[in-house]
Amino acid sequence: MSIRLQLLIVALTTLVLPWAGCQYARELETALRDSQESALLASAGTIANALSAQPQLVFRDPDDTAPFAAARGDWYVFALSSQPLLDGYRDDWGIAAAPLPLPAASGYSARAQVASADRYLYLYVEVDDTHFDPEPSNAHPERDRFDRIDLTLQHPDGTREFYFFATGAPGMIAAQSIVNGGDGQDRAVEEPRIQAFWLQTAAGYHLEARIPASFVGSRLWIEAFDGSGNGKIGLDAVAAPDGGRLFSMTPGLNSLLGTFIRAGTRATVVDINALKLGTAGNFVADGAAASEQGESWYRHLISVDTSSFPLQSFAPDRLEGNSVRAALAGQPHAEWVRGAANQELLLTAAAPMVIGGTTRGAVFLEQAGDQLLELRDRAVSHLFNLTLLATGAAFIVMFGFATWLSLRIARLRDAADSAVSSDGKIRLDMPESASADEIGALARGFERLLARLNEHTQYLRTLGGKLSHELRTPLTIVRSSLDNLESEGLRDEQRHFVTRARDGTQRLQSILSALGAAARVEESIKQAEFVNFDLCELLRAAIAGYRDGFPHSNFALETPADPCFIRGAPDLVAQLLDKLVENAVDFCPPAGTITVRLDRAQGNYLLAVSNDGPPIPPALHGRLFESLFEQRQGRDDKPHFGLGLYIVRLVAEFHGGSAVADNRADGGGALFTITLPLI
Amino acid sequence: MVAMPSAIIPSMKKLIAVVEDEPALRENYAAALARHGYSVKTYANRKTAMQAFQNHLPDLAIIDISLEDEAEGGFDLCRDLRAMSAELPIIFLTARDSELDAVSGLRLGADDFLTKDVSLPHLAARVAALFRRIDALRRPDNAAEIVRRGALSIDGEKMQTTWDGKPVTLSLTEFWIVHALARNPGHVKNRQQLMDAANVVLDDNTITSHIKRMRRKFQQIDPKFDAIQTVYGMGYRWVE
Repeated sequence: MSIRLQLLIVALTTLVLPWAGCQYARELETALRDSQESALLASAGTIANALSAQPQLVFRDPDDTAPFAAARGDWYVFALSSQPLLDGYRDDWGIAAAPLPLPAASGYSARAQVASADRYLYLYVEVDDTHFDPEPSNAHPERDRFDRIDLTLQHPDGTREFYFFATGAPGMIAAQSIVNGGDGQDRAVEEPRIQAFWLQTAAGYHLEARIPASFVGSRLWIEAFDGSGNGKIGLDAVAAPDGGRLFSMTPGLNSLLGTFIRAGTRATVVDINALKLGTAGNFVADGAAASEQGESWYRHLISVDTSSFPLQSFAPDRLEGNSVRAALAGQPHAEWVRGAANQELLLTAAAPMVIGGTTRGAVFLEQAGDQLLELRDRAVSHLFNLTLLATGAAFIVMFGFATWLSLRIARLRDAADSAVSSDGKIRLDMPESASADEIGALARGFERLLARLNEHTQYLRTLGGKLSHELRTPLTIVRSSLDNLESEGLRDEQRHFVTRARDGTQRLQSILSALGAAARVEESIKQAEFVNFDLCELLRAAIAGYRDGFPHSNFALETPADPCFIRGAPDLVAQLLDKLVENAVDFCPPAGTITVRLDRAQGNYLLAVSNDGPPIPPALHGRLFESLFEQRQGRDDKPHFGLGLYIVRLVAEFHGGSAVADNRADGGGALFTITLPLI
Repeated sequence: MVAMPSAIIPSMKKLIAVVEDEPALRENYAAALARHGYSVKTYANRKTAMQAFQNHLPDLAIIDISLEDEAEGGFDLCRDLRAMSAELPIIFLTARDSELDAVSGLRLGADDFLTKDVSLPHLAARVAALFRRIDALRRPDNAAEIVRRGALSIDGEKMQTTWDGKPVTLSLTEFWIVHALARNPGHVKNRQQLMDAANVVLDDNTITSHIKRMRRKFQQIDPKFDAIQTVYGMGYRWVE
């Protein structure tokens, strides 16, 4: 793996920045949420305390602490936003809650709902009675049997009045009351201020009635009777003197609440039954659209999972949920919920209203969580963009740095690769060695290594010459001693040993001579004089000589017809040729041919000496010309020190040329090519 | 071909001084020369040799170039000796081929030089030849041994060479090389043949540099000299 790749992988760790940003954003969101919770809880507590101090503003009847009991005929009065049409249908009431069954059912079923709008109380009753029993004329509810709905009103002054609704024909009717006529007879008379609409349906009939608010105190009782049977449902004032209470929004409480709350918050006050007493404000922030727009792709990366939050339950008359329950039990409580409509995040907080030591109700606040989300998103998107930018910058910087590093290392590597050239020369200077860092140190290490290698190579190169010189004196002592010994007049058997010793010294002599050859060539190169001479002629003469000198080898010479003048030292060139031919003779099989060929090419002479011997292994091509490089296994008795081809190289380079070892194109044998420049 | 007597018995024992710092070699040379009938005195360094020479000059001096701690002490000794006597034959013994060049210029006045590879019989022959040359110079001219090739004239007896009548100062080795070449003009002599003729064991390079130097010496007399021709790969020949 390249350093660049490795560093890029390391650079991936900078992704920890955005990750940390996400973590931070989450923590931020949690912290914001916590603070919003406590702020809202504090608000709820404050409002609850304020309201607790003025119970008369909160409750219609602050002294009535009995809980709401539908079984006793208690009713919640829904607040309508506008007056409905009296038509027997409650669709225009706009109340999500269904009518509730009347209590004390006895073979009859009916449901009712009570609401108020402006100065009227509205009553809606639906009775399941498929048989319509019309009211006869001059009917009396205690005497006659007909379908009838009784209504007992307790007036604001505490007096109670009985009314009943019945009709001979469905449609607009008025309530009737029983009055004592002058004749002592009770008579039903219409009360025109209480209007109603009797609507006959397939399942029974609906009654929608309108009662002036001034008629209505704090209680009313509803009863429904079947005209053709004994079916009856509901309670009257006699059966339930404590029942029939009306629970409703407290007048003026809405505006009072409105003074407590800020925009984006909805406050609701409930009594101990969780029934709404007043509400103000609106939490539907304009953030819905904004958050839609600001939805960022990374939001799902960072947002806290809200799917486990409970759904807000919704009822028009009462509040539900953990917060309200806890508050009514006396504990302030805040909770995050999801809105019923579009899952938006809501914060709810409820605080109990404690009056005289008992919890009488609660203040419930709702706030949209979107604002928070927006706040967080703004901070986070900033942070996120910044960290992404930082990561990108880090990547680019890392990449650049890695590229620079690997370039430097590559330069060093290339230099190290080529430090020892194919001709054995050692380059001592390395790139980057001036740098102060580790790469510089490495380069300097290379330089030291190469310097030592160079010393060693130099030593090896001169070793032959030195050895040849140093051994010459002792060898001479041995030889001259042998000479003297021989002259002393030896016996024949002694003479054998002297002859053998002399043979040995002779061989030693030739070894030393071969060892010193390169040094002597270097010596003679220093003193060589350049002349212009015809290379072709030299080749022809030389080949003639080789034919005499190596009678067992075949020589072929190919030269251009015209003279090939070069500038050089003919003796050295002849010596170069000697070495090449000696080498070729050594490797050429007995019947093989040694071909010497001279060509002109691109400003140079190409002198090629090839033989039919075995090809040169590719690994050796560059090394054959090195000093003391010898691969051949003794095929003859002559000593080989790998100096012949080194001399070839010395001479070729001295003439501004080069020497290359290769194999013949036909693979048939070795090919040595010497390049010598034209004049 | 000049006869090569392995030894000559002089009427009076000639005194040969051997200056050589290597004791074993010194004694070997001394023993061999003594065997050939010379009286030999040996010296290990320049100082002792010089002291002896100031009292009594030898008939011939064999001097090693590097003497003990003086790398070129032999050169100095040769110069001093030549200053004392112009005729005294001096032979240099060299351990290094590179020294040959310096010595063989004969600027120092040496009469011959040999590498230490030379065998003792060769050395003795060389010494004898030098004495012979001196003797011949003292005798009246004897034309029998004179070889003439054009402008070249070689006196085999006195071992002297002239070109156009002017003497060419050749060392003994060079003399024998020229002699071998000029005796059979046109014949190629390879390096081994030349070495045999000169009674030396030299490598190819040294022969080459000898030839080069000889040409230069002739060219000093006659710039157009090109009678010694190189036959590459084979050797040399004399062209008339």
